[in-house]
Amino acid sequence: MKALYATFGAVFLLTFLSAPTMGAGWFWDAGNGLGFAAYAGLLYLTITSSRRLDVRAHQVLGYGVLFVAVAHAFWFMLGDAAVVEFMKLGAPDYMWHGIVSMLLLGILITVALVPDRFRFHRDYPAFRYWHRVVAVATIGTATYHIAVSNFYLGAWYQSLLLVLLALAVTFGREYWAKLGQLGVAKATAYVAISVVCAAIFAVVRNLPT
Amino acid sequence: MKTVFAVTVLLGVLVVVFGSPVTKERPARGYFYGSTEKILPMNFAHDDHVPVNCVECHHNYIDNTGGGLCMSCHVTDAAVWPQLENQFHDLCRGCHAEKAALGEDGGPPRACMACHLGDDLP
Repeated sequence: MKALYATFGAVFLLTFLSAPTMGAGWFWDAGNGLGFAAYAGLLYLTITSSRRLDVRAHQVLGYGVLFVAVAHAFWFMLGDAAVVEFMKLGAPDYMWHGIVSMLLLGILITVALVPDRFRFHRDYPAFRYWHRVVAVATIGTATYHIAVSNFYLGAWYQSLLLVLLALAVTFGREYWAKLGQLGVAKATAYVAISVVCAAIFAVVRNLPT
Repeated sequence: MKTVFAVTVLLGVLVVVFGSPVTKERPARGYFYGSTEKILPMNFAHDDHVPVNCVECHHNYIDNTGGGLCMSCHVTDAAVWPQLENQFHDLCRGCHAEKAALGEDGGPPRACMACHLGDDLP
């Protein structure tokens, strides 16, 4: 669980480095808190897959991350009728990156399951390779979605730190492997932490100053 | 899992196409303010912005780029209107965010619907 706390801590603290009390209302900030929680979950899945993996735990946690990511998207799509206008042709590219990231995450999970995996990958090493490639693309598009939308990372160094964090998680596999065998957190624990962090994120930004 | 994900994506597409079934008010794109393309309606509480220096927004008062209302150029001028979304988001959101960061009373940046209902709607 320490790695999960550390990942959540890094992502959420990064958002508070400048203008920590600036918010856009309870609804907006809670929904984006869920988005940051989904991003933290995505990074955590990558960190914990650097060592000998409990495949079932990784898979179930993947469902949890997808659930929180979908909650982030539907929160806005259902709650603010103008948001869907940002998901049509002509939408800003950072929104398309968010949509692509979500689809890639879904594909990443569903195609990894037997028997579909056998249809797409002739052997396990090939599956591992392409699973990793799609995971990198998922993190890359999600990072772009957050950094370029620029809702909470108002200072340039916040965007830089986010990119460095994503690069470290994605390409620091050798280092993460040296941390030793870490158990993968349960999906229920991850979802609970996501809800708590999203709530704290919204509270800090909406309390009267 | 495949089915659940496929149904979720389908639901998402339906919400994008037909709008949210939850919210009562929905912005409808149209030819507003003389626009040549369908755009979202916008509202702006001019009275709430009286303390702001006019030229913060009305740049044409000092740079001789036109004398009409904002929209007379920003939705009709072929060289300018493709930037409408970026320019107005940057202007409105940027100013609100700047004031919030400075601890000044400017109100926070807000949800999309707070600005994208037409003035004639509740």
